[in-house]
Amino acid sequence: MTFTLTRRAVVGKMALAAMLPAIAASPLSAIAATSTPKPTPEEPATAALLHTAFPHARLDAAFYSGAAGRYLAEIAKDPAAMAEHRRGLALLDGSYIAPFAQLPEMVRRSMVARYDQEPFFKALIWRGAELIYRDAAVWKMVGYEGSSVEYGGYIERGFDDIDWLPAAGGAK
Amino acid sequence: MTQFSLDDSSVFVVIGSGAGGGVLGNELAQKGHKVVCLEAGRRLEMSDIVNDEAEMFGKLTWLDRRMATGKPDPNFPVWGCKTVGGTTMHWTGACPRFEPHEMRARTTYGALPDTTLVDWPVTPEEIAPWYDKAEVRMGVTGRQGMPFLPPGNNFKVLEAGARKCGYTDIDTHNMAINSIERDDRPSCHQLGFCTSGCAVGAKWSTLYTEIPKAEETGRFELRPECMVTGIELGPDGRVSGVTYLHQGKRVTQKARAVAVAGNVVETTRLLLNNSSDRHPQGLANSSGLVGRNYMRHFTIQVMGVMPGKVHFHRQTHLAGVVRDERGHRPERGFAGGFLISTVPFTPEILAKNMIIGGWGRDLTEVLDKYDQLAGMLLTGEDPPQLSNRITLHPTERDGYGLPVPVIHYEDHPNTIAMKEYAWKAGRRIYEALGAENVIEMGDYIPATHNMGTARMGDDPRASVCTPFGRTHDVANLYIADGSLFPTAGGCNPTLTIVALALRQAQHIDREVAAGRL
Ligand SMILES: Cc1cc2nc3c(=O)[nH]c(=O)nc-3n(C[C@H](O)[C@H](O)[C@H](O)COP(=O)(O)OP(=O)(O)OC[C@H]3O[C@@H](n4cnc5c(N)ncnc54)[C@H](O)[C@@H]3O)c2cc1C
Ligand code: SF4
Repeated sequence: MTFTLTRRAVVGKMALAAMLPAIAASPLSAIAATSTPKPTPEEPATAALLHTAFPHARLDAAFYSGAAGRYLAEIAKDPAAMAEHRRGLALLDGSYIAPFAQLPEMVRRSMVARYDQEPFFKALIWRGAELIYRDAAVWKMVGYEGSSVEYGGYIERGFDDIDWLPAAGGAK
Repeated sequence: MTQFSLDDSSVFVVIGSGAGGGVLGNELAQKGHKVVCLEAGRRLEMSDIVNDEAEMFGKLTWLDRRMATGKPDPNFPVWGCKTVGGTTMHWTGACPRFEPHEMRARTTYGALPDTTLVDWPVTPEEIAPWYDKAEVRMGVTGRQGMPFLPPGNNFKVLEAGARKCGYTDIDTHNMAINSIERDDRPSCHQLGFCTSGCAVGAKWSTLYTEIPKAEETGRFELRPECMVTGIELGPDGRVSGVTYLHQGKRVTQKARAVAVAGNVVETTRLLLNNSSDRHPQGLANSSGLVGRNYMRHFTIQVMGVMPGKVHFHRQTHLAGVVRDERGHRPERGFAGGFLISTVPFTPEILAKNMIIGGWGRDLTEVLDKYDQLAGMLLTGEDPPQLSNRITLHPTERDGYGLPVPVIHYEDHPNTIAMKEYAWKAGRRIYEALGAENVIEMGDYIPATHNMGTARMGDDPRASVCTPFGRTHDVANLYIADGSLFPTAGGCNPTLTIVALALRQAQHIDREVAAGRL
């Protein structure tokens, strides 16, 4: 299977230098250090949104709730951001028979597709990508090994250990 | 440490301590001249360099306000550094030379509509010995007797796929990264964090090569955290000194001559912001070309989910190259060519890059197979266009109170055609190895290569600088960065910036000896 994914611009200009590590984002360690925030009314729907945007079979519900909690704690300091987020959740919660968090995944996906150009969603997935993919547990899950200088780099730890390539294409 | 007096009008002032400024300053000091190097950024210690992209981004990157119209991100059009060492801290170290046919772009490509293509005023034969010197200086692998770096996983995938597609000009590239211990620096440990500053110093950065060597001469003073805002002229029309901001104070240093190496955007801003009765359109801008013909190379990526593990984060970012598409073959539907090299991403950067295109399973299915990913970067020639230009915002000001630079850039149709071709070429390479999934990623990286805004030439009406990089209008004002490039070529610019800086140093030295400077 092959497909072209990213030339279809969903997030467009908001990408703001996507390749760069962290424009205008506080380091995760600073957030993780603060004690786990109390669950808020917004948390279940926020967690469900993060799960819909970043579905990983190997991450459990508690992981998404944790990330949602951290996100909510961050935007709680910015009334405008919180208001926009609440407006977004109301759109999702208000337009179906059950609250967003309780809908089947397929339905959730189609609802998010309807609102994925809304500012609340763009803000959530941008910061959400940082909260999720800067997490050491996620690194472990996907096989990213992080800082290497303290181990002498990868020169003795598999930088050239590939073993499945056709013989003709290996090292010269 | 050497200190020069502010009234000492015998010093050369070099603005910027990156590839251009660091090399020019050191070379002048080695030749016996007194040099003050003014650098806007801080001076880091080796211990400040850690394997954390987000942290290093904050320490290294130029984050003062910039704006853009057209294709680039409106708020972050250019990716560079503001620190001692300049963007040689972020850079990945690839050191290809311009091809002779690229230096004769107008002759080779003909009249491409809506471009200002020219042949370089410096011939390939003339620059060749300077390339040799630059390669020795930087310890470029695969050149001048330096061994190549060893092939790692991401490169091996690229090479195997490329060979299946019939490509043959493939190796671990000419890199300014030590493949052996050399120059009091270790060989590459394959840390995999090249764009965050090399924590062991294997990658050439002026912070720990040119700058300390210059200081050892006793004729070089580096002044960090000094942001140059003014270039003053004397009654004779020559530069008499420069003014900079240091810890909120305004300081003026007298000078015998000045070289600007602020990396295109800042070089342009400094010239345009220093207009006077004599230079109503900005300093050294009688041609009206300062800021015009801005070029940046396209930078697209292709990622493959491969049938086995790759672990592409475990090695140098730019770990090898395929050069076969570099040539000029108009039958492909465009002029000029491009290079194919490797690139890795951290999970976070990969995710952020991919959410530009979508969310949900399309994204997480790729991230779930992070350890099976191979990645390539494709960069190609960008023809000069008068309308791609850097100007000053009429009202917006940055933290220094300086006018915010505004970059206007649009792809030329030639670039669009080359990109379309390059995406397909990249996809074929991973498909040839049975990739489960191939992802084409767009041209979203802010510009890392900046060129063209003070082009060299023989005609003062059609160029800003002489073939030695001296401005036509001001006899003791030089430019020593990518601004000088009349065309962009199909390769990374830094080796050429360094070669031109070394050549300029010799020219300046001779001018001094002849009593002209
Ligand atoms: C991620 C990345 C990867 C790259 N990889 C490669 C590669 O593999 N190969 C390659 O050839 N090139 C690469 N480049 C490009 C390379 O870094 C640049 O071409 C090179 O550093 C340019 O040298 P320079 O001296 O013109 O500018 P810089 O190295 O950017 O130095 C300019 C310096 O001037 C200072 N400055 C600016 N204005 C002022 C002022 N008014 N007063 C005082 N100081 C000022 C800045 O703070 C800066 O330190 C890469 C760039 C990036 C961002
Ligand atoms: S991979 Fe090599 S060059 Fe890059 S950061 Fe590591 S040691 Fe330095």
